[in-house]
Amino acid sequence: MITVALDSAGAAAAGEWIRAARPTHPALIDAHYDLATRYHLVNVPSAVWIDERGRIVRPAEVAFADNRFIAYTRFDMTRYLDALRDWADKGSASAHVRPPGDRRERLALPTAAHARAATCFRLAEHLHAAGHPEAAVEFFKEAQDLEPESWCYKRQAWALTDAERFYSTTFQDEVKALGGRPYYARPDFPPDAHEERAEP
Amino acid sequence: MNATILTRSEAVSVRDAALEGEALWLTPEELTRATEWARTPDGLCRGALCVPVPPAAPWVRDDGAATRVDLVGLARHLGQPVAASPAHRVWAIGESHAALGDRLRSLDAPDFTLPDLDGRAWSLREFRGRKVFLLAWASW
Repeated sequence: MITVALDSAGAAAAGEWIRAARPTHPALIDAHYDLATRYHLVNVPSAVWIDERGRIVRPAEVAFADNRFIAYTRFDMTRYLDALRDWADKGSASAHVRPPGDRRERLALPTAAHARAATCFRLAEHLHAAGHPEAAVEFFKEAQDLEPESWCYKRQAWALTDAERFYSTTFQDEVKALGGRPYYARPDFPPDAHEERAEP
Repeated sequence: MNATILTRSEAVSVRDAALEGEALWLTPEELTRATEWARTPDGLCRGALCVPVPPAAPWVRDDGAATRVDLVGLARHLGQPVAASPAHRVWAIGESHAALGDRLRSLDAPDFTLPDLDGRAWSLREFRGRKVFLLAWASW
């Protein structure tokens, strides 16, 4: 297992969580959202399964360790953990490893607007760190406008400043604005009759 | 003038940049330091990858000994997005969506190098031969 903290403030923001977890795996810090850009991650927690040959066998999808946020995932995470154990045990023979064509269909490929959003975000976090928070807001907003599906761009920007003052919004307002649409894309599992359907 | 060039994970300072409209003219040496693109007889090369420089490319000036390359024009030629704050003398150069998408579509997991809390750099390629459960999270 490798964990990666997406945090513009780096160790200052992620360090206390990592120390508290006393990890025995590599617990890395990505202050520039490099991983998010390469794997096109739009929210956290997101996980990717990579096999022994370095091949993606499950593209990025929501991955919580338990069901405490089931109102947001609308998915029973015990199914995900069971699948993960099955893959760890059986490898490519696991039913949760999809054929390559199916995996490609599940990929959320970046558009030109998304690539530009990542570049605006990169500039914004640099401006913020360099002591120009108001100039940063302009580019954080541009990134958010170019890729409104990215909760990373929204929540990171809000976390760095006063969201209500600079962005005229709050997390709860934005979740409400989804109007019933899911906060997380559903993980790639067949439907389950017993699946919870809680609303956020 | 001084300028800061941001690539995906690096911030490189250059000293001999010239701003003209949207163009940011760099010396070949500073272009290479900021982006790894090097001016060669074959055009512009980064590692084994070379792109030709069209004869009338508006983003290259060969004035005798003083060659200059417009970083913004070059990035656009390559399909790379540019975000700039000239007031703060910062230019961010991204990767083209085609390059990002092609890499994902190959299903070869994109490599990365990131530090842990102790400053040790880890790369995904170190884990070849083992299954990797790669989890991104955030404190926010």
